[in-house]
Amino acid sequence: MKKTFNVPDMTCPNCAMHLEGLEDEIPGVKRITASYRKLNMEVEFDETMLTVEQIILAANKIGYHPEPNPA
Amino acid sequence: MDLIVAFITGLTTGGLGCLAVQGGLLTSTLAHQIELDLQVHNGAGSSQKFRPHIAQPILFFLAAKLIAYTILGYLLGSVGSVLQLTPLMSAILYFAIGIFMIGNGLRMFNVHPIFRYFVIEPPSALTRYIRRKSKNGASFFTPILLGTLTIFLPCGVTQAMMATALGTGSPLQGATLMFAFILGTSPLFFSVAYFATQLGSAIEKYFTRIVAVTMLLMGLIQVDTGLNLSGSAFSFSRTISILEAYALPTQTGLSIEVTENGYSPQTLHLPANQDLTIEWVTRNTQTCARSVVIPDLFYQTILPTTGRVEFDIPAQEKGAIIRYTCSMGMYPSQLVFDLESTETDQ
Repeated sequence: MKKTFNVPDMTCPNCAMHLEGLEDEIPGVKRITASYRKLNMEVEFDETMLTVEQIILAANKIGYHPEPNPA
Repeated sequence: MDLIVAFITGLTTGGLGCLAVQGGLLTSTLAHQIELDLQVHNGAGSSQKFRPHIAQPILFFLAAKLIAYTILGYLLGSVGSVLQLTPLMSAILYFAIGIFMIGNGLRMFNVHPIFRYFVIEPPSALTRYIRRKSKNGASFFTPILLGTLTIFLPCGVTQAMMATALGTGSPLQGATLMFAFILGTSPLFFSVAYFATQLGSAIEKYFTRIVAVTMLLMGLIQVDTGLNLSGSAFSFSRTISILEAYALPTQTGLSIEVTENGYSPQTLHLPANQDLTIEWVTRNTQTCARSVVIPDLFYQTILPTTGRVEFDIPAQEKGAIIRYTCSMGMYPSQLVFDLESTETDQ
C-alpha cells in the first residue's frame, strides 16, 4: 500500500533524509520517499503489519507531524 | 576569491550550512556508530574524556571529504579553463551564484514556498545508499567512503563555492579554493560528530538564522560582483566609488596607479574625441587589481607585479563613460570622457 503524507514541519533537505531513514527503523515499511520541496512523504508499506497511525507515531518520535493526504 | 576568505567562509557559513545537509545524515550517524562501538568494547556509556580512537574515524571521514572536494575543485577549475570564461560569462556566473545564495537565504527565512526550489535535493536512491553504508561495520573504509560521497550532497554554500572554483578557470586555483573551504568546514563537523547528535540539532536550530543572513549578504556581494564585471552602471560598490569620487577634485592625467586597494584615481577624467594611450602603473601590486577587465572594450589583461603597461583607447564621444574593474569584480572604477582635448597632457 502507498500513502502520501503532508509534512509541514520539514525545514530543510536534511528533514527529508531523516524521514526517509524511518524505512530502516519501522518493520513493515518498504520504502519512504520524502521531498522537502513538496513538504510531503510517500510511504510504501505492508498494511498487514503496520497502520497509518503507527507511521505517524514513528515520525512524531523524530520530531515531525505528518498528516495523511486525503487525495 | 582569496583563500583566506574561502577558509573563513567554510569555518562560518559553510560549516553551519553544510551541517544542515550532510551533518545529520553522515557525521552524526558516524559518531553514534562510534559511540555504540565504544559501549560494546568498553562496557561503558558515552564518555566525555577525549579518546583518540573515537576521533580517528571522524578524521578519516573529514580527510576523505577534503581530498574528494580538492579533486572536484581541480576538475571544476579544469572545466573552467577549457571554457575560457569571458568577463560577461563570469558576470553571468557570479550573478547566478548570487541569485542562488539569496534564494537559499530567503528559503531559510521561510519567505515563500517557491524558494524551496533553490535547494538541490539529492536523489532518494543516493541518500538511501549512503545511509545504509553508514550503518555497516565501523571499519575505516566506511568513514572514508562516506567522506568521499559527500561530494554528492553539497549544501548551498558548497555549491556556490563549486561554481566559484569553476569561475577561477584554473585547476590549481579551483583545487586550492575547495581545499581551503572544506578545511574551514572541518572543525565544526569534527565537533558535531565528536559530541554526537544532540549538539548537531541544537547548532542547526540556533544558527539557521545566522546562516540565512550570511547567505543573503554573500549573495548580494556576488550579484554586485556580477554587475561590476558586466560593466553595468548600477552596482552597490560602483555607486559608493562614484560618490567618493564626487568628494574629490577632478582627477586628470593619462596614468592609473594599480595599488593594493584598487585603482587610483577611481574616476579618471579624459579628453573626448581623440585616440588616447593610458598607462597602468603597478608597484609591487599583489592583489587581483592586476587583472584588469574593461567589458565595454572587450579588454582583459594581467599586469606585471611591478611595471608600466600602455593601453590604447579609441576616441570616445563627449560624455561617454567606460567602466572597468578587476577580474573578481572588485574595485569598480571608470574613465569619464568629458574634457576638451587641451585639458590634459598627452
